[in-house]
Amino acid sequence: MLRFGIRNRPRRLSKAMGRKEDGHGTGPPGRLERMTIIVNSLVRHERIEGSHQYMDEARGYTERLLQIAAQGDKNHEAMDVANYWLKDKDLIHKLFKVLVPRYENYTTCATRMWTLPVEYPGGKNKTSILELKGNPWPPVVPNPRNNSKSLINVLLHNAKKDYRSASKDGTPV
Amino acid sequence: MADKLATLGFRSFLSHQFLKRSVAAVSCRYANTLSNETVEKHRTSTLAHDKEQKEEKKISAPAPPGLKHVHPEFLPNPTFYRRDRIKEKLERQDMYRRRAVCPIPEFYVGSIMAVTLADPYASGKTNRFVGICIQRASYGLRANFTLRNVVDNQGLEIRYDMYSPLIQKVEVLRLEKRLDDELFYLRDAPAEFSTVPFNLEAVSHPPGAPVPVNTTKVKLGPRPWHERWERRNLRGVQDLGLPEKFYEKAKKVAKPWEEYDLMLKYRTSINPQETDEVMDEVAEGFREIERKRRREKLEKS
Amino acid sequence: MVVSSRSLSKLFTSTSRRRFCSKAEGLSNAEITKKRNELFGREKARQLALITRVEKIEVEHVGPPENCRLLMNKGLSTPFNCAMHIQENLMSRSVLALVNGQPWDLHRPLEDHCELKFLHFKDEDPALSNKAFWRTGSFLIGYTLERVFKDQHYVQLCSFPRPRVETGSFVYDAHLGISDWTPSQAELQCMSRVPAKLQFEDFKLERLTVDASLASKMFEDNKFKSSQIPFIAAKSKTGHSVTLYRMDDHVDISEGPLIASTALINRFNITAIHDIESEDYGSLKRVQGLSTPKQLPIHFWNYGILCERAAKLNPAPMPAQWNKEAMATRNNA
Repeated sequence: MLRFGIRNRPRRLSKAMGRKEDGHGTGPPGRLERMTIIVNSLVRHERIEGSHQYMDEARGYTERLLQIAAQGDKNHEAMDVANYWLKDKDLIHKLFKVLVPRYENYTTCATRMWTLPVEYPGGKNKTSILELKGNPWPPVVPNPRNNSKSLINVLLHNAKKDYRSASKDGTPV
Repeated sequence: MADKLATLGFRSFLSHQFLKRSVAAVSCRYANTLSNETVEKHRTSTLAHDKEQKEEKKISAPAPPGLKHVHPEFLPNPTFYRRDRIKEKLERQDMYRRRAVCPIPEFYVGSIMAVTLADPYASGKTNRFVGICIQRASYGLRANFTLRNVVDNQGLEIRYDMYSPLIQKVEVLRLEKRLDDELFYLRDAPAEFSTVPFNLEAVSHPPGAPVPVNTTKVKLGPRPWHERWERRNLRGVQDLGLPEKFYEKAKKVAKPWEEYDLMLKYRTSINPQETDEVMDEVAEGFREIERKRRREKLEKS
Repeated sequence: MVVSSRSLSKLFTSTSRRRFCSKAEGLSNAEITKKRNELFGREKARQLALITRVEKIEVEHVGPPENCRLLMNKGLSTPFNCAMHIQENLMSRSVLALVNGQPWDLHRPLEDHCELKFLHFKDEDPALSNKAFWRTGSFLIGYTLERVFKDQHYVQLCSFPRPRVETGSFVYDAHLGISDWTPSQAELQCMSRVPAKLQFEDFKLERLTVDASLASKMFEDNKFKSSQIPFIAAKSKTGHSVTLYRMDDHVDISEGPLIASTALINRFNITAIHDIESEDYGSLKRVQGLSTPKQLPIHFWNYGILCERAAKLNPAPMPAQWNKEAMATRNNA
């Protein structure tokens, strides 16, 4: 079960791998090849940025790949699927030995998408970041800081406290 | 939804992108349904008007692991615009009730079965047919299976709705599996592969024993055939013996990438979590029927 | 703002109305400051001359931009010198240093191999920086008091309590050579101009540990400080040293680390002067102030609210002569 909303139909991505010499597009196999490239680089780099449509499609494939790989590398089907989806064979080792244990106890999805802002006036393809959770990079959105101990905040907090207790007592502030 | 509103003369601000290329009939059907999330939200809301909300029946024990293979018709239809949780639940309830009256035994494609129908125009008012099951299809109350036999040198296939009230009895004369999920190639095979004598003795199958797999490889007759069997990856047929160009064309036409298209497989099947939930409910339904049956038996005696 | 010269005449005209003390003895704050400054400078030079051979120490810097190891001079290099090697950001924003986990002035020389961290006001837990800033505020009130009054008013600084930021103001208890004086807003603002200008000067706050005898000599004109010095010295590690700080030409006694330089200050206001009674020192004036650092901007309206609060009497304890019990139960600031 994929733990995020997926579209009911797949995107066609007709120009996924450009055009062949005869002028035709690459069709559904080209679409899947593009997906393997994206999934491959995601597993390698753990955070990639690209066109939103492609990232969204690749997200489902990555999650499914991780779910299938969770059956273990001894499983013939899991190894077959991993072999197809990961072109770089060192990533197969990373998938089974690093990523599968990492996501073993996850109740949420293993990937996260961030939609990036569109430069004015817009009209360009929306870009997104697709990342695996638990990646070693610093967070895309910085962790919220707690500034309550900063000097000004301490002074203002105590002034507020004073004011409230004084107004409660009824003493003129 | 966008199309429907447009026909009514309203400008639609709800452009569901994924419906842009859909068939008009589909979008109309989709327009009148509520998504499962919406329904669940309102059903489980504390502000619901209906105070007599039915409690979910508690599942006393999980279903045995292979139940979804034994009764695949209980699983929902994977096509997204045919999903409706409430309809599925109601259908399943009807299916348990029907099975309580007319039990349908375990069977697979390749099993030899005998079906007794109610027929007002036949002598004895019943109509019995014996054949080999070549297909199991559809979901819910529409579930059907097709039996094939050769009678008086005439190949005969009858498709039975499993939950039709006309069916009086379903017997499985020989429980076995074949190497393929569908046996339509028997149409192109000599008659002996499809012939089943009407007076075939039932072979008892001890409960709990594994289902035997019939590994016969059917030898097909000469071409022309009903289908291009060389493109089908059949396991239950002998070598087709065709010229090389057939196999080359088959390779050209084949879609080998679909085997690894994980999202296609996900969308055309029900995910394991939901399957398990449904099967648990089915097992509970069977238990409930069994309890009722025992209670009635006790009352009678 | 229009200031009436009449209201300021009490303090700032040459014709003296009230003589409280010591003009006859020829003491004035300016002369005493000069004397203390000279003694400080001489002692500092003397201590520097004691280092004949330059030894090297390994300083491990931990923290942004990167952990690194520096080779510095023992007894000469300060954490500020280390920051000069690492990044300009560290030089400009650092308030204190943590040397082996202990708070350390930024311009205090390093003694031995150590681990060094820099603190600033925007840390996750800037408690030490805040305390140092508050302590510096008190120190700067002392600086203000010793130079803002005319010569006929001899100001004797008594002491300042432990810094507590929650009170909303920092404090210096002093004996001003004036009685029966409630300062007006204009007078307080006038007084505030002296420390307010310090933000444009990059006066470093230099630290020096001197012998108690020298400290007594420096503060012989201040009856409060001279009585306190033996107790301060007794509490020190060696048993006879006193920690002094100098900024510009003002010298004062303080135990804890002060901020690196006055350039870190943004605003400074003397907010109130209250009359207090101390058991040991008699009637004194509690001078209260408020200041904010440059790294933390504040809107003038908020600052006004904080000033109003800072004008209320600070609940810090009255200055008291130390005795053995007080020394035994003394907690760290």
